[in-house]
Amino acid sequence: MTVSRRIVLAGGAVAGLGTAAAVAGCSAGGASGGRAGAASAPVAVSGPGIGTATVAFHGPRQAGVTTEPPAHAAFVSFTLARGTDRKALGRMMRLLTDDAARLTRGEPALGDTEAELAVHPAALTVTFGFGPGLYRAAGLPSPVADLPAFTVDRLQDRWCGGDLLLQICADDPLTVTHAQRMLIKDARPFGGVRWVQRGFRRSPGVHPAGFTQRNVLGQLDGTANPRDAAMETAVWNPDGGTTLVVRRIRAEIETWDLLSVSDKENAVGRRMTSGAPLSGTAEFDEPDFAKLDDTGLPLMPDFAHVTRARMTDPRFKILRRPYNYDEAPDAQGRPDSGLIFASYQADIERQYLPIQRRLAEKDLLNEWTTPIGSSVFAIPPGCAQDGWIGERVLG
Amino acid sequence: MTRTLLALAAVLLVLVPGAPAWAHNALAEASPAKNATLKESPREVKLRFLQKLDPKYTTITVSGAAKATMGVSAPKVDGATGVVTVQTPLANGVYTVAYQVVSTDGHTVKGSYEFTVDDPAPALGRGPVVDDPEAPESLAPSPAPSSQAPSAGPEITAVAGNRAKPDDTGSTIVGFVVGIVVALAAGAAFLYIRRRKA
Repeated sequence: MTVSRRIVLAGGAVAGLGTAAAVAGCSAGGASGGRAGAASAPVAVSGPGIGTATVAFHGPRQAGVTTEPPAHAAFVSFTLARGTDRKALGRMMRLLTDDAARLTRGEPALGDTEAELAVHPAALTVTFGFGPGLYRAAGLPSPVADLPAFTVDRLQDRWCGGDLLLQICADDPLTVTHAQRMLIKDARPFGGVRWVQRGFRRSPGVHPAGFTQRNVLGQLDGTANPRDAAMETAVWNPDGGTTLVVRRIRAEIETWDLLSVSDKENAVGRRMTSGAPLSGTAEFDEPDFAKLDDTGLPLMPDFAHVTRARMTDPRFKILRRPYNYDEAPDAQGRPDSGLIFASYQADIERQYLPIQRRLAEKDLLNEWTTPIGSSVFAIPPGCAQDGWIGERVLG
Repeated sequence: MTRTLLALAAVLLVLVPGAPAWAHNALAEASPAKNATLKESPREVKLRFLQKLDPKYTTITVSGAAKATMGVSAPKVDGATGVVTVQTPLANGVYTVAYQVVSTDGHTVKGSYEFTVDDPAPALGRGPVVDDPEAPESLAPSPAPSSQAPSAGPEITAVAGNRAKPDDTGSTIVGFVVGIVVALAAGAAFLYIRRRKA
């Protein structure tokens, strides 16, 4: 008994060392990986590399939109203090831009009381969004409007709206925490925190880059995202701006768990394992809505999520960039989990609303998903090194 | 008296774990009926289920030879009954009714069955009836997704194909019958043992 346990422990220790060695090998810049765990395919992981990775903050477009989503995110929404006018907003955005640029480079914010926490940017991006209320405060017409009510909505005030949004993303949760703390300090004189939604995706290295992520319901999420040239068309306006819809969508996991795999697949229209449409065999097969089974029923049920959400023309597609959330379960052990749905599109009216209307009208997946939060933001263009985000709107 | 009550309790004990099966919907009655042969084309297909239907999640299709989709209306749902009207009279032949509905618990129920139209005096203007029982399904042209009148082309009356497939319905009913038999056997055994002891 003792012997076998010791062997097991020793085996574990060896495996542990092997992993460490493999990581060290990669981080040393070697393409020599894949020794220890020859059986399992080695993934390109570099230990310290993840911590020091940076994403350029400056540019004609803001980062954190079409860049690969890192593992952790905080969506921080603010309500502006009364009397915060266009001039004050300009001051606020100069401060925020300056500190966000520093933090994304791995440098401490101005007056950073925990400078050590800033040295691992871990692909940190800070993306700023302006809600309808910010434009009102500035005395300007708003390019975005709150979404209309949908029958499926069960919205709670505490997850809705916002005048200013910070989307803070990084591959490390402590980096996100630190950036959030520093940037809230900057914004505090101008407004209060309305809500914070923290979310996560798979950690870097778990999947190869570009791999479609799963949500808490186990579904592959984002297969139909526009790519390359289609992404350009779908997301960006000529001025370098875009729009963001953030919806908090609670997953009704207790009832979802009662379903069989085929029930789940019918609700989604895709296989749970591969993500292939029910009319195909591989994840990226184009769904064939005309294909019938032996009895004459469509293989893609007309009430399936994919059937309802499908848009083929890139001008009508949206870029989904969602994060999972998982808060503490209640005393009975029922989960409080779901999706921080975040979609980027050039035009909410043209792209997001038609899809959402179709889903609200008919989508079997609605039985296990409940929107409890909703907000919209215009994402102003990026800025040059000597500029600030929002300068063309507020300057 | 006590004995009878105990026996009843035993029966219930066996039956109760089977109860969740009732959460799933199933086809209760169909018109045209399964495997029916009709003297004329049906005007509608009417399916009654055990549970209330959600019109959003109810699909009823009628297809003919080689899975050719017959034109039917969108399903009209009234309680547990779904009706589709047949848009163009069906020519003589074998047809498959397929349905997909969603139970109140979100479970999808699919099934299909066949019926035959055998009108001794087919309406004028129909094409000649081609009798080719060997025609394999795979050689048939891919079915048009849109609704099509069955008279658009030669009709194939005999279909190498699907017998009635009660899918879920059948297994649920079989399961229930098995459950009752097991329960009754358990009750009988219980009573028998009690009586011997006494």
